[in-house]
Amino acid sequence: MTAQGRIVWVSGPAVRADGMSDAKMYETVTVGDSKLVGEVIRLTGDVAFIQVYESTSGLKPGEPVVGTGNPLSVLLGPGIIGQLYDGIQRPLKELSKASGSFIGKGITTTPVDMVKTYHFVPVASNGDEVLPGNVIGTVQETDLIEHSIMVPPNHPGGKISNLVSEGDYNLETELATVEKAGQNVPLKMYHKWPVRKPRPYLKRYDATVPLLTGQRVIDTFFPIAKGGTGSIPGAFGTGKTVTLHQIAKWADSQVVVYIGCGERGNEMTEVLVEFPHLKDPRSGKPLMDRTVLVANTSNMPVAAREASIYTGVTIAEYYRDMGKDVVLVADSTSRWAEALREMSGRLEEMPAEEGYPSYLASRLAEFYERAGRVRAAGSPDRDGSVTLIGAVSPSGGDFTEPVTTHTMRFIKTFWALDAKLAYSRHYPSINWMNSYSGYLGDIAKWWGENISEDWFSIRNEAYGILQREDTLKEIVKLLGPDALPDEEKLILEIARMIKIGLLQQNSFDDVDTYCSPEKQFKLLKLVVDFYKLGQQSLKEGTPLSAIRELPVVTLILKARMNIKDDEMPKLDKLENDMKEQFKNISGVKVTN
Amino acid sequence: MTTKGGVQYSKIAEIKGPLVVVDDVENAAFDELVEIETTEGERRLGKVLEVGNGKAIVQVFEGTTGLSISGTSAKFVGKVMEMPVSKEVLGRVFDGLGRPKDGLPDPIADKFIDINGEPMNPEQREYPKDFIQTGVSVIDGLITLVRGQKLPIFSGSGMSHNLLAAQIARQASVVGTNDDFAVVFAAIGVQYSEAEYFRRSLEESGALKRSVLFLNTADDPAIERIITPRVALTVAEYLAFELGMHVLVILTDMTNYAEALREISAAREEVPGRKGYPGYLYTDLSTIYERAGKLNGRKGSVTQIPILSMPSDDITHPIPDLTGYITEGQIVVGRDLFRQGVYPPINILMSLSRLMKDGIGEGSTREDHAEVANQVYDAYSRAQEVRALAGIVGKAGLTEIDLKYMDVGEVFEKEFLTQATDENRTIEETLAILWKIVSKLPKNEITKIKDKYVDQYYQGK
Amino acid sequence: MGSNSAMEQTIDKIIKKSEKQVVSDLNDAGLNFKQNLDDSITKLESEYDKILSDGKKEADKIEKQIVGGSDIEARNKQLLALEAAVDRVFTTALEQITNTDRNSDYSNLINSLLQESTKILGTTEVKVYTNAKDKNVVQSSLSSFSGSKLSSEIIDCIGGVKIESKDGAMKFDNTIDAKIERLKPLIRKEIASKFGVKE
Repeated sequence: MTAQGRIVWVSGPAVRADGMSDAKMYETVTVGDSKLVGEVIRLTGDVAFIQVYESTSGLKPGEPVVGTGNPLSVLLGPGIIGQLYDGIQRPLKELSKASGSFIGKGITTTPVDMVKTYHFVPVASNGDEVLPGNVIGTVQETDLIEHSIMVPPNHPGGKISNLVSEGDYNLETELATVEKAGQNVPLKMYHKWPVRKPRPYLKRYDATVPLLTGQRVIDTFFPIAKGGTGSIPGAFGTGKTVTLHQIAKWADSQVVVYIGCGERGNEMTEVLVEFPHLKDPRSGKPLMDRTVLVANTSNMPVAAREASIYTGVTIAEYYRDMGKDVVLVADSTSRWAEALREMSGRLEEMPAEEGYPSYLASRLAEFYERAGRVRAAGSPDRDGSVTLIGAVSPSGGDFTEPVTTHTMRFIKTFWALDAKLAYSRHYPSINWMNSYSGYLGDIAKWWGENISEDWFSIRNEAYGILQREDTLKEIVKLLGPDALPDEEKLILEIARMIKIGLLQQNSFDDVDTYCSPEKQFKLLKLVVDFYKLGQQSLKEGTPLSAIRELPVVTLILKARMNIKDDEMPKLDKLENDMKEQFKNISGVKVTN
Repeated sequence: MTTKGGVQYSKIAEIKGPLVVVDDVENAAFDELVEIETTEGERRLGKVLEVGNGKAIVQVFEGTTGLSISGTSAKFVGKVMEMPVSKEVLGRVFDGLGRPKDGLPDPIADKFIDINGEPMNPEQREYPKDFIQTGVSVIDGLITLVRGQKLPIFSGSGMSHNLLAAQIARQASVVGTNDDFAVVFAAIGVQYSEAEYFRRSLEESGALKRSVLFLNTADDPAIERIITPRVALTVAEYLAFELGMHVLVILTDMTNYAEALREISAAREEVPGRKGYPGYLYTDLSTIYERAGKLNGRKGSVTQIPILSMPSDDITHPIPDLTGYITEGQIVVGRDLFRQGVYPPINILMSLSRLMKDGIGEGSTREDHAEVANQVYDAYSRAQEVRALAGIVGKAGLTEIDLKYMDVGEVFEKEFLTQATDENRTIEETLAILWKIVSKLPKNEITKIKDKYVDQYYQGK
Repeated sequence: MGSNSAMEQTIDKIIKKSEKQVVSDLNDAGLNFKQNLDDSITKLESEYDKILSDGKKEADKIEKQIVGGSDIEARNKQLLALEAAVDRVFTTALEQITNTDRNSDYSNLINSLLQESTKILGTTEVKVYTNAKDKNVVQSSLSSFSGSKLSSEIIDCIGGVKIESKDGAMKFDNTIDAKIERLKPLIRKEIASKFGVKE
């Protein structure tokens, strides 16, 4: 029985309604004469506290509230890829057809086109016993995505009959019926799943495979694993969004879910404009063919911002269950936390730090716990992963504020953006002293097997140079550079080369925007070799200035832009040139 | 909303701060416009912040000074606050609530528009990429403004942000195509003299007839400031998206706006976020800033230059901080440069235009623009480090290359940054100075520019 | 005398030298003077140019100001003229309403005004106010609104009613004056378009 109540109180996105004793927690309801979408978030007696996902301007006490009987759910089926959704999975394109350039209220649409046909290829047969999660067939959703049609996790399973033959069907077609204990349950191309409930899987794996992003400072220095968790906190202007866009563009996953949660409208527009024209470096297909966007920009209703994170991660889990690697990027979890805070304030809950509710930490933990590399339920065997990357926007750039500190407890890779680096236009402005990766040891094996056995040691050597530079810089600040011996000045020089030639990466440069793992390793080795040759040369009495002025230095620094991924021999030549040039100066003795 | 409103309620339960709590209210909607009337017949405007259980909390824009429990009544008007708009608003001066302040009659409305606006559908936005030449080198060269962008000026008390904003308003509006342009200026709690400076500046450039002014000066009611940017943007959206004009909106000073918001929040006894500002300050500011933009299939654009003074020049203060997270970059006015008498005193290292990359380059400015700008940023940042070092070890302790960077800093500030308030430089002139700066460096220091551009434009030895 | 002539020679030399000095000094002075003069002329010229260009800028400014200003002034005069016309239409219309016969049409109007207002207040137990002229019409309409009462207090309006709940906490103004006030912006637009003003 669905609840039918009346509004008794309205304040911003929060509404109270009485006569709601039949309502369930987290049930979706329609609110008011204009049928706004809302969700029950507290029940006291017969009064329901409702967060409304649309603007409540003009809503009056006395207007009706009607329950739907269902929790907030997403529709999962082919047609999701390439879409731009709002926080509750309404396609923004469809909304614009109903209300034009600005977002109107009370519009209902389906998340995907229900009458579009897809070519269904069955893999199961009539008479098969199927369990939840079993794949009964596939459709080609986009050029890049083969979409498995699975028995929904909440389906009882049973014996298949009336399975359709290969052919074109739309989403509402009954593809088969499954019979269990005399009951026939139809299977369609789609099902619904409540967003706040993680989708089940068979078992979890350790995260040992790196998620390659083509960004040197990430892949080489602070890597993240497939199925891992990462966080990218930074004050405004530190290039958070650009870095996240870079990950969304170049990560070696099959599906990317990008959530614009309380951020700028133009950023979503940028993705929409850019991604269809960008090619996936591995398949050569448009990036939009693997991307789903969820946009609840800062000026859109705040409650739907809270929901957008769950909408996104549920979609990610769905594609994971097909055996795909999925990356979910959430920009920004701070705005999501602020939405929690605002609703909590309206509920008049007792606030914890900075007005955030006391359950902020547990909500964050629950969210990041939905990451992982898993064996999906049902047959055939499928391994997929959800990698969760959340941006954090600490107020005043202060990393001790609640959202940042709580997030740090639940993530393993931390990319700390640094305003000072950004001010000097060192992009990405990931601070190499404050960032860390908990996956380094786990994924070293992969690099050893696939790129070079020396990867781990050379990476550590380069990182060691950066650490030494950090201490030496303190001395220089106090005493000036002349206080250092040449051996240490060389370290400053090499650190500069690492910073300019490796850590910095120009995302707007056609070549530099993406760097293959092979090129990353070669560039890294080039600089480390330069260091070794330089040390030796200094010992033999070559003045530092001669080393500094070697023509090869500028070439190494510009190699990231000048040498393309498929021009590795050019890097080998650069290595030879470097050795040659060192040979030529080794005879130079200090005059005077 | 229907026209059902109009009932006058006279049971006032409480008056606190800018709020009036009305009892026994049976027919009121959230956000509804309210007319408060005193026994003397004075009328004030307000809106419903919260309604339910027979009670309505009303925020009074003109403040509650002089209101009494027994002598006050509240009329719920039956609609949200609207601004009458038509083409004839150009050349007009309004108060902070959008009522005529120039002695002329109310504009005859083509439409009445809800001042809160509706969020633009991100799917319907057109990505901004049309270069606006402001004639100010530091902006055109390094912090490029594009049509539909929101680019605030972060300043401090007493500095020359208004001169700069006025210069941009004058010069940006005269350059370029024949497209229709307009300036919407909203003074939010600023001194009368500052507002007057803008008006005169627009008048002197002959742009007044293409401008709409909304003035809430320092001595006007504080709560009115919640409305001022909204009526201004409602007019701007109308001019842009209905009449196809390119509208430049200047909002000064947003700090006063945020303070009015804090006052209301305090009166409602809400749990505060940082520095007493409400937790929803970010969301609230976004409903103002996000009203900049361009839309698919429509000719006009709304470009916003909000100005805000950072309390004690602190960029981490919640107002500039949350603004920076919403806007597409920021222009930071630097106290040091200002003290040295540099105009415009822009601290470029802290400044940024996020949309610059799409507004410059081949076809709009020049193909080498992005790279030469990057190199200058890098060089100026090095110059600052060298200056700091020179402070410790003295000039004698600097290397030859360090000295070259010192030189870069000098040329940058004296020749590139410094500019007269009526000097309107072309983009070519601006780029030429950028190359002059880069040419102070030896070639092997130039790591951010492709060789072909270096070969073409580099003038050093 | 040898020594004498030697002395004279020396003196001669000195005199000559000084003469040379004086002459060259004079020459220098002349050159300097000329130089200064030349300098001042160029300076004067550049000063003159500057004054001219400043003047031109100022003139441009003033021209822009005047052109822009007069545009606005003309437009504003038009706005005022239009407003005066609108006002005249209003006055005439209000006069006509004031002088309307209180016939059966009018009592229908009063009835609908009462119905509307009681519906909005949600009760018919109200006190009703009206002007002297409408008193009788209103009184006869009130019979169909149980619990309503006509106040003896007379209000100043063109016509119509104003009602109030028993406790006086709720009021609704449904006089013709208030109705016109509410519709004024729309009426103004209507009138303006009749005058041929277009957007």
